[in-house]
Amino acid sequence: MERSVLDSLGVEIIGVMSPVSICMLLVVLLVSTVSPSASDSAAAAASATTAATLVYDESPSDPPGRRLAGALLNAAAFVALVAAATTLLVVLYYYRFTGFLRNYVRFSAFFVLASMGGSILLSLLRAAGFPLDAFSALVLLLNLSAVGVPAVLSPAVPVLLRQAYLVALAVIVAAWFARLPEWTTWTLLLALALYDLAAVLCPGGPLRVLVELASSRDEELPALVYESRPASASVSHAVAALGTVELQPVEPAPPNPTMSNRNVDPDRTIVEISSLEEETSPLVPNEPSSSGSSDARQRDIAAEREREREGERNQDPSSSSSLLAPALESDAFDTSRGIRLGLGDFVFYSVLVGRAAMYDLMTVYACYLAIISGLGCTLILLSVCRHALPALPISITLGVGFYFLTRLLLEPFVVGASTSLVMF
Amino acid sequence: MTVAAGLGYVLISLGPALSLFVSVIAKKPFLILTLLASMLFWLISLIVLSGAWRGFLPLKSASWWPYVILIITSVGFQEATRLIFWKLYKKLEVILDAFAEEKFRSRLSWTDKMQIALAGGLGHGVAHAVFFCLSLLTPSFGPATFFVDRCSHMPLFLVSAIISLGFMIIHTFSMVIAFNAYAEGNKLNQITIPIIHILAAVMTLINLAPGGCAIGVPLLYIIGVVVLRHCWQMVWRKLTEQGNRQRNSSNIHVS
Repeated sequence: MERSVLDSLGVEIIGVMSPVSICMLLVVLLVSTVSPSASDSAAAAASATTAATLVYDESPSDPPGRRLAGALLNAAAFVALVAAATTLLVVLYYYRFTGFLRNYVRFSAFFVLASMGGSILLSLLRAAGFPLDAFSALVLLLNLSAVGVPAVLSPAVPVLLRQAYLVALAVIVAAWFARLPEWTTWTLLLALALYDLAAVLCPGGPLRVLVELASSRDEELPALVYESRPASASVSHAVAALGTVELQPVEPAPPNPTMSNRNVDPDRTIVEISSLEEETSPLVPNEPSSSGSSDARQRDIAAEREREREGERNQDPSSSSSLLAPALESDAFDTSRGIRLGLGDFVFYSVLVGRAAMYDLMTVYACYLAIISGLGCTLILLSVCRHALPALPISITLGVGFYFLTRLLLEPFVVGASTSLVMF
Repeated sequence: MTVAAGLGYVLISLGPALSLFVSVIAKKPFLILTLLASMLFWLISLIVLSGAWRGFLPLKSASWWPYVILIITSVGFQEATRLIFWKLYKKLEVILDAFAEEKFRSRLSWTDKMQIALAGGLGHGVAHAVFFCLSLLTPSFGPATFFVDRCSHMPLFLVSAIISLGFMIIHTFSMVIAFNAYAEGNKLNQITIPIIHILAAVMTLINLAPGGCAIGVPLLYIIGVVVLRHCWQMVWRKLTEQGNRQRNSSNIHVS
């Protein structure tokens, strides 16, 4: 079979969409199977003290006006909290409190996995009636959480494990967020989309400042990001013959994978000289669009100093290599490190889909398609704009829009038709 | 009727689509993207349709002529959407050709185009199955089942799964035929596809009559078989044409 252009186009996009889809699927499964039971009244009371319901504790019996006003207040309070936490993060990063940030990330990863993941594990075990005793469960949980800490931080861990733990973190946090009351969830999502837009694009926005700081220091962003390693990193013989396939650039031009200053033409790939079998995936700039910056209590996806990344580049030659064709050395330095998506984006996409799952499966499909298409649009914009872009606004807006359109318009139409077995 | 039955219904309606996906589409990321884009397209067309019809719902289920109007308008709109999809694809094909020239020094081959058409059609079929069948299946994972008066032979879930399987076949392969017809300018096929679509949709109207689904569903499958056969013949003809052409051109090169 001769190679066709269809084989290689869009690998990185799929590499990002797959974990997002898996995360959403897991959250939908969790939300629909582990539905709140009587024992969750304690959890409900606990959720009443979350940051998102500080101002107004919603209950279904309130009139719509009060619920809307309360939800808006909740969302405003939450966004203010997130903004404050992000600003704190930027200040800490600016004054190079790297040790503190790194340890905080370690603590928060362990905490999320152990306590929040533990309660989800508990409800899963209870729902499935699985005969596991308390001690074994505790040991299992502690071990899993302990492995998770280096998995998300250290470069020496296999990529697949790291990605799996990042997705697991996102699933746990999203499952917790999905327990928020309904109106609060929707207004919160919209408010966070707006905040993300402002924080990444406005000149004074904390995330933009963070990205610029990180790129000016030639360092990684201090945050938990998911990075898709493209599968085309299979090193062919010719490349091995070329010697090093590290991520070290030949020229001293900015080697950092954050995308702000990448003057790479994303449509151009560097193809090895010797064979046209393997090709690097075109670089699509990375996206530190983590609106998932720290929320003091809930989301703990705060900061991370990825200095290890730099060490990783030196130590890890074979993975996600850039294939340097010597004759084609140019400024367009390609790495096939793939697209990077902040973990907060995972979380909020999954929260949206999880909340849609609480209504009906049709809304789930519609919201899934909306979010995926929003993500695709964002990625295409990314390849055009080539600087940090917020991943939340387009997807969340489309998702919320499609949710309400489906719920109000599509469902009576389609259900009425298909229960009469009239289809087209 | 338990998770097993629910999963069974899901697999009845989406099983062939899943195998098509795994064998053809999953290997090429671009086709996955085409599939998702096509699903989004049909979802948007469904939303627009339902927005247009919202004021008239719920239809009186006693008479059948509102359903006829519903079906004719819906199918007409969907065929118009298919044309729009084709136009968008033509624009994309220009970009893809340029990309392929740059990297491989060749253009999109005919099999590539047909694979894209297949992915587009599969997206249409899967969107239909998901929204008309799967979204109703949530109760089937529980302990009971549901029968409709008009079709009391089988549970509603089973009938709708079978119907959506038939429609999936029709949609998938009529998209392949349609893309080929638009590309070649074959007027006959261009007209045939909307007619087949309307015919298939009208067949489901037979389900409105009591006990009608025993007739309507087999007729739907006959249409599906016709579409499959037509598509197979067309593809076979094109492949042999191409094979001959390649042989001739290589002969010319040699001599």
